[in-house]
Amino acid sequence: MSSNNESRRSVLGKISAGLIGLGLFGQIGAYFRSLVPNVLYEPPTKFKIGMPEDFSEGVKFIEDKRIYIFKERNNFYAISAVCTHLGCTVKHSPYSQPKEVEIKGQIKTTSGEFRCPCHGSIFHGDGTTKEGPAPKALVWHPLELAPEDGQLVVDVALAVDNEFRLSV
Amino acid sequence: MNTLKKLLNSIIWPWSPASNREAGDAVVKNVALHWFPAKVSLKSLSWGYSFWLGTITFSLFMLLALGGVILMFLYVPSVERAYQSIKDLEFVVSFGYFLRSFHRIAAHLMVIMAFLHMMRTFLTGAYKNGSAPNTNRPGNWILGVILLVLTLGLSFTGYLLPWDQLAFWAITVGTNIASAVPFVGDSIRELLLGGTIIGQSTLIRFYVLHCFFLPAILLGIAFWHMWRVRKDGGLAVMEQYHQSAKNSAMVEPVKTKSYSLMGIAKGTSVHVHNSTILNEENSVASSPNLIRRIWTVFLITFVITSILALAFPAPLEEAANPLVTPNPAKAPWYFLWLQEIVTDTTIHIGDFVINGALIGGVIIPSLVLLGLIIWPWLDKSGPEAVGVWFASSRRKHNIIFLILVLVIIIFTIIGTVMRGPNWNFYWPWEAWPEMPTKI
Repeated sequence: MSSNNESRRSVLGKISAGLIGLGLFGQIGAYFRSLVPNVLYEPPTKFKIGMPEDFSEGVKFIEDKRIYIFKERNNFYAISAVCTHLGCTVKHSPYSQPKEVEIKGQIKTTSGEFRCPCHGSIFHGDGTTKEGPAPKALVWHPLELAPEDGQLVVDVALAVDNEFRLSV
Repeated sequence: MNTLKKLLNSIIWPWSPASNREAGDAVVKNVALHWFPAKVSLKSLSWGYSFWLGTITFSLFMLLALGGVILMFLYVPSVERAYQSIKDLEFVVSFGYFLRSFHRIAAHLMVIMAFLHMMRTFLTGAYKNGSAPNTNRPGNWILGVILLVLTLGLSFTGYLLPWDQLAFWAITVGTNIASAVPFVGDSIRELLLGGTIIGQSTLIRFYVLHCFFLPAILLGIAFWHMWRVRKDGGLAVMEQYHQSAKNSAMVEPVKTKSYSLMGIAKGTSVHVHNSTILNEENSVASSPNLIRRIWTVFLITFVITSILALAFPAPLEEAANPLVTPNPAKAPWYFLWLQEIVTDTTIHIGDFVINGALIGGVIIPSLVLLGLIIWPWLDKSGPEAVGVWFASSRRKHNIIFLILVLVIIIFTIIGTVMRGPNWNFYWPWEAWPEMPTKI
């Protein structure tokens, strides 16, 4: 009889300890989960950057979006200014005149190159890596025309390959 | 008058006790002095053995905590107002510039002193157990490594708070290094930032980490660290008393205490054995000798930090601007060796590329920390090398350690003074080219 009492006590004890553990675990879980945001109040990744005819030939830096827009005659393309190494903003340093450079076995004509101020990465004019620690080419973002007013629209959440051109 | 004196004595207990008995009583009866052992060895007290670097580090932490709480009254952790409140601190609040400068200098010194404290511990072999029973110095060494990491974490989180250019871009680089961790990197970065970009949720996270979580954890572990020193019978130099006692031909002295703490701790405490080692010649009462030294170290630390704070006012760059990366963009100096490594370690094998952020920012620092943690178990030298500067049986270990330290120092110097715009290499005597601040 006494051994029955003992085992009942120990079973109840274990259940209590388990419930306390579960409660604590749940509480701590709730703390951590609350720190993972459900809604991000961040600027949209897709935005308008202006009418195509307002862009002049060459390169334009959209500062607050950290993106370079290139116009070659009636072709447009967009290259991200976010360095693929550690996220600093790369600067476009133009050559004095367009040069033919060999990029991955292909000869391409580029007007300049990108340089990162943080760790010295250098990218070719089409965004592929040339020197420094950056592991990947700069990202190309798709461009399209807004159906309602004809403005150029960039989506920085998406990536396209470096053959992309938007003809206007 | 007599009653008043009695009351005062019961609170602060005289630091100049009239007898050994009174000195011992002081340590037992006074809550503050209860930290300390009744007697302390002369070697532990000496300036030249430990340089009191741990005490200096903890003094700096206390000064940072005290000043930090005052700064919390004056700083607003919001992206709209943070920079302005730092400006107000600098130009409007009475003595605000001093409070800020003091906090900054003390933080720099704390990183330096914690590092020097680690060097001292390594070079004296103080992370090792010797022949004294029941010591666990390797465990305390690991606590020390954790404290160093927490110190760096506090510096890093404090860096963002002024919300100036330096802050913003140092955090950009730092959190992108975190995202180079395989598989979970992006999640870690988002958890740190509270989103995908550095903004209000990042600032408040770093603020709470800086003002509450990291100091609270550091304080808890620091207490544990100091309590462990006490439980190990004092500084590692105590092992030398054990060695000389062993080597002397004297008859084993009678143990004054042989009981164990029944049911609380197993075996006898190390003090039971130490009581046979410490005697009138090699030890003194903690009250007042140890307490006087601790106050002296604290006051010297306080004065030197104050003078440095007046001599080197804290800089403040332009307000944070996510649109413009400063050129060059540098992390705080104690992370520049890492920034130098992440620059140099991107590996290209054909088209296959390993990001320098993974090797230099994650793998190498993790290996360095892991190496430090397991080092006590790699070091097989005997008890004669414990608590001795540059022991000959530990020469190999000291040389490897000093080379590692030297590499870190060289990389820090290169990153600090020899990296100019676009992170190009310039000798100190070369002028940097003029760079446009905006594109």
